[in-house]
Amino acid sequence: MINATGLTKRFKSYKKPPGFFASLKSLFYRQYETNYAVNSFDVHIEPGEIVGLLGPNGAGKTTLMKMFTGIITPSDGQLKVLGYIPAKRDRLFRKQIALVMGQKSQLWWDIPAMDSFQLLQRYYEIDNTAFQSRVAELAHLLGAEKFLDVHVRKLSLGERMKVELMACLLHEPKLIFLDEPTIGLDLIAQKNIRDFLKKYHEKTQTTIVLTSHYMADVEALCSRIILILDGKQGFDGPIGEFETLLGHEKNVSFLFSEQQDPINSLWKEYDAQWNKEHTEVDLRLPEEKLREVCAYILQHYPVIEFSTEKMPIERVMKTVMSNPKLIQ
Amino acid sequence: MIGQMWNRYRQRFIHYFQVYSGFFATSFIAAMSFRIHFVLLIVMDLFFYVSTLGSVHIIYNHVSMIGPWNREELLFFVSVMLTIQQCHMAFVSENFWLFSSTIRTGALDFVLLKPISALFSSFFRHIRPGSFINILITWITVIYYGIEVHLGLLAWVLLPFCILSGLILASSLDMVIASSMFWMLEGTGINFLRIELQELSRWPDFIYGSITSRILTIVVPVLLIGSAPVRFLFDHSDWLPLFGLGVAIIVVWVVLHFVWNAGLNIYESASS
Repeated sequence: MINATGLTKRFKSYKKPPGFFASLKSLFYRQYETNYAVNSFDVHIEPGEIVGLLGPNGAGKTTLMKMFTGIITPSDGQLKVLGYIPAKRDRLFRKQIALVMGQKSQLWWDIPAMDSFQLLQRYYEIDNTAFQSRVAELAHLLGAEKFLDVHVRKLSLGERMKVELMACLLHEPKLIFLDEPTIGLDLIAQKNIRDFLKKYHEKTQTTIVLTSHYMADVEALCSRIILILDGKQGFDGPIGEFETLLGHEKNVSFLFSEQQDPINSLWKEYDAQWNKEHTEVDLRLPEEKLREVCAYILQHYPVIEFSTEKMPIERVMKTVMSNPKLIQ
Repeated sequence: MIGQMWNRYRQRFIHYFQVYSGFFATSFIAAMSFRIHFVLLIVMDLFFYVSTLGSVHIIYNHVSMIGPWNREELLFFVSVMLTIQQCHMAFVSENFWLFSSTIRTGALDFVLLKPISALFSSFFRHIRPGSFINILITWITVIYYGIEVHLGLLAWVLLPFCILSGLILASSLDMVIASSMFWMLEGTGINFLRIELQELSRWPDFIYGSITSRILTIVVPVLLIGSAPVRFLFDHSDWLPLFGLGVAIIVVWVVLHFVWNAGLNIYESASS
């Protein structure tokens, strides 16, 4: 479905020192520098997969998506998506893909969503019966029936995202790119979008490439994740493998009846994360030490509650981002 | 083989026509949302015609001829130019004003994703429905002054095609100029350049000096937009400028093809 080898995108930019005279100078002379947004990136994505592209801001996730969709042209490397070279922007290629950007809208703000859908129907040559049934089905799944006739500029962010998703799915694309589809949404709206995407994928087996800063999105939807750091591939594999990247460790939480001393060497050894009052701690424990350490703490400290879970992906992500050498 | 090709082009034409009718419908719906703005645009356009035609009348109150043309001939030319410009305003003008922000904000991303020519979607997407009402008024003035200058039968038949050719050349030139926004990003200067060139084309070619006239006919062929068709309509033996208009349209489209594709290749979108 997606095959990329040595994919590279360079951008040229110039640096301007602050101040009026520097601005004046920049009218005549500019010192340009070349930055690599994506650098020698290899990836292979199979049909039906949901892949999460993860990485810090500016890592190159969106640039990668824009190259996959043919919006921008790669500087180097080979790329084929659905058998097409995206940069050639073949009409049939564009009929089979869709892109949703959480921070940008493809709908026209000054008209209701339904009017934009009708224009999309013409763009994608969808016959009337199929169009009506798809709109009805998607609106029902997303609970969007009420606001299809409201001007887009008057919709809330959550409502707008629902109609954006509808707009991108009307032509039943084989490949969907979702660039931070839940950004800025409240927890309930995020969950609704995730649930919808999950159901949609189960039903259609459409290939989805997703970027998100919310690990809950990634955990709920992706079977595979690709980590991008400074435009380069950091990790590519199943989500389970990523979770155990830092070793087979467990996250254990203890709640104490009274304040504890966080300086104690026991806590330091297991990467303790305390609450403000020092009455609750999260520890990262190696699987083989789990029983021994938990038994010790339960015996020697006033524990009133404790729970254990596998390492949260968010914590793995934070650790890897702050120390990329861990995956090299 | 030819049948298949014909079918393909026919389907493509129907597809583009349907999308364009969608552009028309959505532009109309959007324009109706801002009623006072809609009415104000119509009134301001009317004010512009009255002042343009009125200034020609004022000049002819002091002189009997400008170059080879009398009052009615120049008013016919101005009416033709107003019709071309009114059609330009109704069908394409809005898009040139918006194109720079489309590039800078990355809104062009969604244009590039649609299964239709990005050039078509970029420069024909926004239509100004309010201007359609005034097209009718400019046509009335063209017909009125056409009768005044005693146009022949052939001239009447060719008049719509001549106006269409002028409109195609004016729009194509603007598309080439607007495409430079891929490099410049900020469009204000470019749009002022377009407006200045439109100003130059609003007067007949004979008022300019020899060198200026050649530059504005051959290098940046804005003088062919109105002068070429009107000269031919007045005197059918004066066909060379009209032929030049046809050639200019072809050359400008070839240039547009290269400039547009080069622009798309350097398009960097905007960060999310």
